Amino acid sequence: MAEHKPSDPEHRHGAEEVAHGHIVHREDLRVDHQMETEHHEHDHGGLAKYIYVFIALCVLTGASFFTYSEYWPFRDEPRVGWAFMMAVSCTKAMLVILFFMHVKYEANWKYVLTIPAGMMSIFLMLMLVPDIGMRTHWYSEERELHSAEPIAEVIAEYETGQHGDAKQHQ
Amino acid sequence: MATAHAHETHHSPLALEYEPGLPLTNGKLIVWLFLSTEIMFFAGLIGTYIVLRFGAPTWPKPHDVHLSEPIGAFNTFVLICSSVTIVLAFEAAKQNKAGLAKAWMLATFLLGSVFLGVKAYEYDAKFAHGIYPWKPHSPIHERPDYYYGQAVRDRLAEPDILSRTGALYAQAARTELGETPPSEITTANQQLVQDIIIWLPSGTAGADLTEEQKTALTKLQGAMAGMLTAEQSEALAELWPVVVAQLEPLSAEEMHAVQDLKFVSDKVNETQQNNPSSQNPATLAEVGQKIMPSAVPHGTTSDHHGSAQGEAGEAHPEGLNDKFDWLKLPILIPGGNMWASTYFLLTGFHAIHVAVGLIVFIIMLFLYLGRKRAGLIENAGLYWHFVDLVWIFLFPLLYLF
Repeated sequence: MAEHKPSDPEHRHGAEEVAHGHIVHREDLRVDHQMETEHHEHDHGGLAKYIYVFIALCVLTGASFFTYSEYWPFRDEPRVGWAFMMAVSCTKAMLVILFFMHVKYEANWKYVLTIPAGMMSIFLMLMLVPDIGMRTHWYSEERELHSAEPIAEVIAEYETGQHGDAKQHQ
Repeated sequence: MATAHAHETHHSPLALEYEPGLPLTNGKLIVWLFLSTEIMFFAGLIGTYIVLRFGAPTWPKPHDVHLSEPIGAFNTFVLICSSVTIVLAFEAAKQNKAGLAKAWMLATFLLGSVFLGVKAYEYDAKFAHGIYPWKPHSPIHERPDYYYGQAVRDRLAEPDILSRTGALYAQAARTELGETPPSEITTANQQLVQDIIIWLPSGTAGADLTEEQKTALTKLQGAMAGMLTAEQSEALAELWPVVVAQLEPLSAEEMHAVQDLKFVSDKVNETQQNNPSSQNPATLAEVGQKIMPSAVPHGTTSDHHGSAQGEAGEAHPEGLNDKFDWLKLPILIPGGNMWASTYFLLTGFHAIHVAVGLIVFIIMLFLYLGRKRAGLIENAGLYWHFVDLVWIFLFPLLYLF
């Protein structure tokens, strides 16, 4: 079934004829070729793209500081601030990964790399929650005696201890 | 996989073609595999930090541990710029502009060095305040309890600290009493005179004393300011010029600091007697505040995120450990030890990675960065971008949360 193809004089990669018949272009192996073909469409726009990404990163860094300004509307609920900052960080990370590390333009292997890594990062962290994140749930009284506590609470506990149950502390 | 179906006839020898599994150079593949291990490494560390921090009973605010958000933001900016410059170096190398590539590479290296320099400055600030994980017991205490009072007391009782605080009290006394010796010992100046009497033997040791002054010194040994005999009063008057000469007067700020020091000393020495108020955490918390005050006064409600915000631009108030850097009294930061451990672990590992990146850049600065080296620059850039990525997550987690 394999046909013997005559060597093509116009074929640029004469040495790369595969024995079983079809010519495989190993373009993407040769670095300079890769530059000229794959990157050609954004070789000129490429520099502008990097500048745009840089500006976006600076803006986002400023945005994470926005939670500290007086215009931030959620000062009473710190968790909103934390969620916002993590969202900003993830966006910055995606910009760096996609554009600076060029992953947007890579082939499908990028999914093999990123998806398991992403899953692992989240899963590894969640695994730690029951034993370490919730460690204070299992503290003995003696351990609690020496653990850190907000100073106001220490003072409040001492005062209720001193004066019995008569005093009610907020 | 390329299979070779050899033609049995007049065909030339088999031309086997290596068909790579992925459209990547080996170098790039290796770097990506390495980066995936690094992702796991930092995911473990950062995940641990997140879990430890949010599971902790309490956590210090950034200003309690002398963390400056603007410096962190500046570092973030520096690292972002260095990411841009390494990408520009790569682009220049692809176009075979070796000189330009080298210039951008140098810029990346310099920006990375700036990052490390700022980090070193930050670390120095922490160490100066006594904040670092330390065996057998760090100077950071978690609760305003009896053990904290005991630790402060033990530190104050150390011989060299004792002699220096004694000299400070004598200086304060001299500042208050002035150039002439007190004509009469009243309850108001009794303690001050006592401070001077206690200081006299060690303080005048190096001075040239006249014979009269030396005899005066012996007369004052063991004297009590409340019960000075006429002879001892004369002796004090005799020695007064030496006192004035040896002791520099203190400024108003320093006087205030000495008052605070006396307050701290009195309060923790109270704990030694079986005084019911000796273990009062409110008192010990006050002692902690004098030693190293937090930016926001304690007792305000747990506006954890909110109260730290207003202080972002303010300089931190100075405590005893700041005014007298030899004092190094134990400090009270609830959650401080865990904070120090995680902070130094995360930023330390990140700084090591930055340093490795800088070594790679330094080596590459000695190469010719033409088109053939573009792949090498790309790989170094991938590593550097990853380092930047980790910092993008570390910055809000450590500085802003």
